[in-house]
Amino acid sequence: MLVSVKDSIKFIGVTVVCFCAVFVCTFFLNYYLDIVPLEADISEDVMPLYKAQLATAQMTCGITGGFLSVIAVIMLLFYIKLYIDAHGKEIGTFKAMGYSDSEIAGSFTVFGLGAFIGCALGFGIGWTFMPTIYNQLAIDGLPEITVRFHPSLLFALVVAPAVVFTVLAYVYGIIILRKPALAIMRGTPTKTKKVKHKTDAKNRPFLKEFCLSALGSKKTLVFWITFSCFCFSAMVQMGLSMENLASGTMAVMILIIGLVLAFISMFMAMTSLVKENAKNIAVMKAMGFSVRERFAAVFVGYIPFAVLGFAIGTVYQFGLLQLMINVIFNAVGEIPAYTFDVPVFFYTLFMFAVAYSAVFAVYLIKTNRIPVKMIMTEN
Amino acid sequence: MITAENITKTYNNGKTEVLRDVSLEIVDGEFVVILGASGSGKTTLMNVLSGLEKADGGTVTANGKNLSEMTEKQLTAFRREYVGFIFQQYYLLPHLNVENNVKMGAHLAKNDAYREIIAAVGLESKLKSMPSELSGGEQQRVCIARALAKKPSVLFLDEPTGALDEKTGREILDYILREKEKQGFTAVMVTHNQNIAETAQTVIRMNSGKIVQRYENRARKTAYEIGW
Repeated sequence: MLVSVKDSIKFIGVTVVCFCAVFVCTFFLNYYLDIVPLEADISEDVMPLYKAQLATAQMTCGITGGFLSVIAVIMLLFYIKLYIDAHGKEIGTFKAMGYSDSEIAGSFTVFGLGAFIGCALGFGIGWTFMPTIYNQLAIDGLPEITVRFHPSLLFALVVAPAVVFTVLAYVYGIIILRKPALAIMRGTPTKTKKVKHKTDAKNRPFLKEFCLSALGSKKTLVFWITFSCFCFSAMVQMGLSMENLASGTMAVMILIIGLVLAFISMFMAMTSLVKENAKNIAVMKAMGFSVRERFAAVFVGYIPFAVLGFAIGTVYQFGLLQLMINVIFNAVGEIPAYTFDVPVFFYTLFMFAVAYSAVFAVYLIKTNRIPVKMIMTEN
Repeated sequence: MITAENITKTYNNGKTEVLRDVSLEIVDGEFVVILGASGSGKTTLMNVLSGLEKADGGTVTANGKNLSEMTEKQLTAFRREYVGFIFQQYYLLPHLNVENNVKMGAHLAKNDAYREIIAAVGLESKLKSMPSELSGGEQQRVCIARALAKKPSVLFLDEPTGALDEKTGREILDYILREKEKQGFTAVMVTHNQNIAETAQTVIRMNSGKIVQRYENRARKTAYEIGW
């Protein structure tokens, strides 16, 4: 087998995101399915509260589950692409020897295992928290709700995602493998892209030129850096702001999910940033570029995108909270006043600056450890 | 001048001895070829002489500086100031065009005349081309231009023609030899090709981590006179 189970374990990002999505969706969907049949028993005066609870469950599942599912899919595809890029020689050799695309792509289905583990853990652990969450969501006037097991949820949240991710891994593998064996081995594109030669380009300093062209050629990384900062900003601010609007458990949950997502995506982005630039860094090191210059060339270009991610996250969480408050409390009939939480913003900004400086510092040390002789020994 | 005294280098926690008590001297402006088969230790010797890695024992002195006592930071500064590299696999930065790859070397020497070097290697019409659009010979010429734009005192060449066909290989070698004569830098070339060694002033032959022979070429040949 080309891809081993051990390889799939390395793809922990997908597992974690699937876990978060299923963990949240398990109790909210279960709760939703448990309270829907009670509608006939609800009195008129409690009806708004009941509807608000339904709306909360729907919205939380929709937003958290939907958002995280999209992220998990993107991560899976990103991982497979990275895997193929990193193992081009082996995969190309298999293809050159006569293995068909479907035979090779078949081994990518093992990546579905990561999704399955995440979903199964999310569902299982979600279930252990169920009584606590039901207590948190309990409202005076609503009848006591018994936790019931819904087999359809097990299918929808564990079996179906695992199957979808397995099929997706296979199909994406087939699509990516539609290249000649040599192109995969060499990591070159099938069709030579028409490169735009900017004849009137400004005569920029080398480090700036390196930085800009690296950004242009690594758009996926730009996305992940922006996304990780978006997650950090949105989820931390939302978690801290929600303390007064929802239960403490919900706030802590969102905070934890946000931090996990932010650091997983940041870890992924930075790891592949360093991996993809390892040779460039080694060449720069061999030529005598200092640590500061290497940092400026490889990392500095991503800082504006990190700030952009933070800004989008701030706007997103504010807009989302406004929307949730309007939808949920509209059903109750009394919309509480909600304004932008300035202290939380500055607190999050400070944490963001500290956390990301630390991450950059760690990876800078990592790049410093790349041996220069790697370029002398590799053929 | 580069002096190496009793250099030893081991890998695998001392299990594999790559350099054994190697001593040599390279004078300024000399063209030295380190000749040897695969595994003879020639590339490791070049790495140690250029400050890419440190020897386990012995001393290496270059331009009056003892490389053996330098920290990584100091070695980086040393390479920045004195050393140029030409690699067999070119190692151009794939997302930078020809001009910017050469600018990479020029930046370190604050050399604004890098376009003249690109013209000198015959690539002025490919200034904006990306490495993926160039042939192997053209890529190696970019690598040479990048190294020369850095104005090195010592140029280290690791099998510079190893990945090229005969015609291109001869052209590249000829260009390097002419530039060496013109600019007067010291050149240290690692190769397994006995024929290429005939172009050098001094040949150091290595086997099993030791220098087994050192000789001067009485009559040096040009890139077009040697066999291939």
